[in-house]
Amino acid sequence: MDEKNSSTISETNSQSKEEKKSFFKNFNYDKNYKILLAIPLIILLLSVIYLGFFYFRTGDFIIRDVSLSGGTTLTLTGDIDTTKLESQLKLKLGDVSFRKLSDISSGKNIAFIIESSAPPEELEKAVEDILGFKLTQENYSIEFSGPSLSNNFYHQLIIALLISFCLMSLVIFFLFRTFVPSIAVIFAAFADIVMALALVNFLGIKLSTAGIAAFLMLIGYSVDTDILLTTRALKKSEGTLNQRIFGAFKTGSFMTMTALVAILPAFFIVTGLPDSFRQIFFILALGLFADLVNTWLTNAGIIKWYCDKKGIK
Amino acid sequence: MKLTWRIWVLVFVLSFALMSVLNLPGPYIALVGILVISIPVSLTFIKSKNMLIFSLVIIALLLIIIPLFTFSSGVMVTSVNPSSVAFSEGLRKGMIISEINGVTIKNSDDFFNTINSVVESEGSKKFDIQTEKERIIFLTNSSIGVSVKNIPKTNLKTGLDLSGGARAMIRPANVSLNSNEISDLVAVTSNRLNVFGISDVSVRPVSDLGGNTFLLIEVAGITPDDLRELVGQQGKFEAKVGNETVFIGGERDVTSVCRNDATCAGVENCQKDSSGTYFCNFRFSVYLSESAAKRHAQITQNISLDSSNPKYLSEKLNLILDDKEVDSLFIGAELKGRVTTQIQISGSGKGATQEDAYNDAKNSMNKLQTILITGSLPYKLEIVKLDSASPSLGKEFTKNLIYLGLIVFIIVCVVLFIKYRRIKITLAVILTVLSEAIITLGIAALIKWNLDAPSIAGIIAGMGTGVNDQIVIIDESISEEQTSLKDKIKRALFIIVGAFFTIFAAMLPLFWAGAGLLRGFALTTILGVSVGILVTRPAFADILKRIEE
Repeated sequence: MDEKNSSTISETNSQSKEEKKSFFKNFNYDKNYKILLAIPLIILLLSVIYLGFFYFRTGDFIIRDVSLSGGTTLTLTGDIDTTKLESQLKLKLGDVSFRKLSDISSGKNIAFIIESSAPPEELEKAVEDILGFKLTQENYSIEFSGPSLSNNFYHQLIIALLISFCLMSLVIFFLFRTFVPSIAVIFAAFADIVMALALVNFLGIKLSTAGIAAFLMLIGYSVDTDILLTTRALKKSEGTLNQRIFGAFKTGSFMTMTALVAILPAFFIVTGLPDSFRQIFFILALGLFADLVNTWLTNAGIIKWYCDKKGIK
Repeated sequence: MKLTWRIWVLVFVLSFALMSVLNLPGPYIALVGILVISIPVSLTFIKSKNMLIFSLVIIALLLIIIPLFTFSSGVMVTSVNPSSVAFSEGLRKGMIISEINGVTIKNSDDFFNTINSVVESEGSKKFDIQTEKERIIFLTNSSIGVSVKNIPKTNLKTGLDLSGGARAMIRPANVSLNSNEISDLVAVTSNRLNVFGISDVSVRPVSDLGGNTFLLIEVAGITPDDLRELVGQQGKFEAKVGNETVFIGGERDVTSVCRNDATCAGVENCQKDSSGTYFCNFRFSVYLSESAAKRHAQITQNISLDSSNPKYLSEKLNLILDDKEVDSLFIGAELKGRVTTQIQISGSGKGATQEDAYNDAKNSMNKLQTILITGSLPYKLEIVKLDSASPSLGKEFTKNLIYLGLIVFIIVCVVLFIKYRRIKITLAVILTVLSEAIITLGIAALIKWNLDAPSIAGIIAGMGTGVNDQIVIIDESISEEQTSLKDKIKRALFIIVGAFFTIFAAMLPLFWAGAGLLRGFALTTILGVSVGILVTRPAFADILKRIEE
């Protein structure tokens, strides 16, 4: 299965390379880069509007899971009658949600996940009563976070996210020591996060502590292609500016594509993985996808504009 | 084949990382050390290529064959109940058991089968245990109190979510503690878990960005219920007659508590009631201090005999744990006004089967004994976080993570080969990234870091950064520019160092936020990229120079 996948990837890769070459020959980047710059800005604006609307509706920028809002996650393993459990638990506790975790490669149902704002003792007892057997160390896992602690964690992780962003900005300013190119990189990273967040909310994904940690990683991970672009555009002297930007694009998009291709199996081949792990990878994938747009349209556009003004050829 | 010093650094660090990750016997490690050091020495003298290949093959064969002979077989002791006979005879955590009563023990199944056959046999139970250090022989009638696991093949430790176990975060409700009080709390909590019979436990204070301090307790092999009751309780035990307290838990009033001695402690009288529920009673003796015994005499002095049942006093002795009544006991008429230092405490357990009821009673007895010995805390506790993971689910996850790693590895190999169409370059990238991951794991094993799922995500992300950086180095160095290769690589390193510092800076706050529960994610990522920038990236640049020249 892998072999097949990768061979089709190679075909599309070489095809798109050909297309890209002819496309880039006919495409006048000098004339059109400002139009290209408008595309990510429109997406960003839409994302911001969506997030604003989301905040207005729910009072928060994300959907928090129980690790950030308080409550219990109970994971059952083994063969159980989940339909009966679902309907009866809903009657008993009201506020519950359910998820199944299965592994695509082996086709096995690995676990059944129940989330509720009820305290663990109550949820355990309700599940035991319905199932008619005792929960033991072998057949279930539980995660409980008290409401005040989860709230506390949430606020701390948001502060950590802000600190992380500021530290990253400082590093970028220190690296390039010029205002506009540094701001371009930082802006691209900001756009990555906003777009990824909008996508996460749009898909209705509940974020856990690990999910927010993934956003921190995204801040650090997504700027490497921006650094590559800026360095190639400003610090290299040979070739025209367009050639240098295109060269950086070839390297950088390959980097991001490799990372994306490496993340995909966690969602299509081996899926029976811990929630925290899947969430980190999912958010990285969304962020890297947004990064393709923001590095090669937003950041490249600003750098091009800057170089034109400064007369860097 | 001349290797630069940067490549040598990589080889050395990689070898040490491998030794740190694999659980190898001491002599083997020494041998590998000598071999690794002898390679550069022999290279200086061996000029012919054939000789070199020959000696490398010999070294590789030795490395593969020797472990087959030196790996010790048996099971490793994970915990010994401190009140068991096995403990007093010298069996300790970490020992390797290779034989019991003449039966060779290869894995934990062998262990349990052998123990069961001894326990089920008639007469006195004799255990003749051969460990790697000494031979331990003892007789016991109660349970052996030893738990074991297969000898691990690596020194890597996995976190709670992958190995199974329970974790609780507690903090005192409504009071903030100074550092002395926190270390007291750590001591009382550890003591309670130890007295309860759990030794594989870690109790430590953690604090978060907001300056809150919590106690983080991690235990393998305990149910969340037990953990909740043991660590979440203030443990305020009072024995009261009417409104007057006779004695409280802790060493001031209670000098000793009878445990594991069938003559003064045990579960008995299992019965079925009309509704079909089984009940079992437990009882154990408690020895009071002189002052508590006198208090008992004074208080009972003024109580009259029960008119309907003159064998007993009219007031009962109420046993109260954390403001809830556990049991109330009749006081025998002969105890009225007497200074008695021995008191019998009883209670009951129930369950759907006799076995359940028995275990419930035994568990309650154990908890009550634990509280009586360790005493109470001067404040109420609040469990703010409680996680437990089932070991079987953790195994499934670990297996899948390994599969995933293999698949991702193959995909990245294929993608790189398609892009560069050169086996040498693809191999160089793959091997460098792989050594980066091994070195990260080596450091994790060395500092005994528990690798949880986010930590593993961090290692994989670190490998991703590794691949990215190497793509930058390759693309810079094969560009058709006129500048020297040295300058090209220098520029590549500027980009890489920049990317390193941004990811370092971005992950740093995770060390403190959320009481450091996501520290593993930050740690492995930062370790991975640091190993990259210090060891593997410079070596890779040199390897690439060799390939290109």
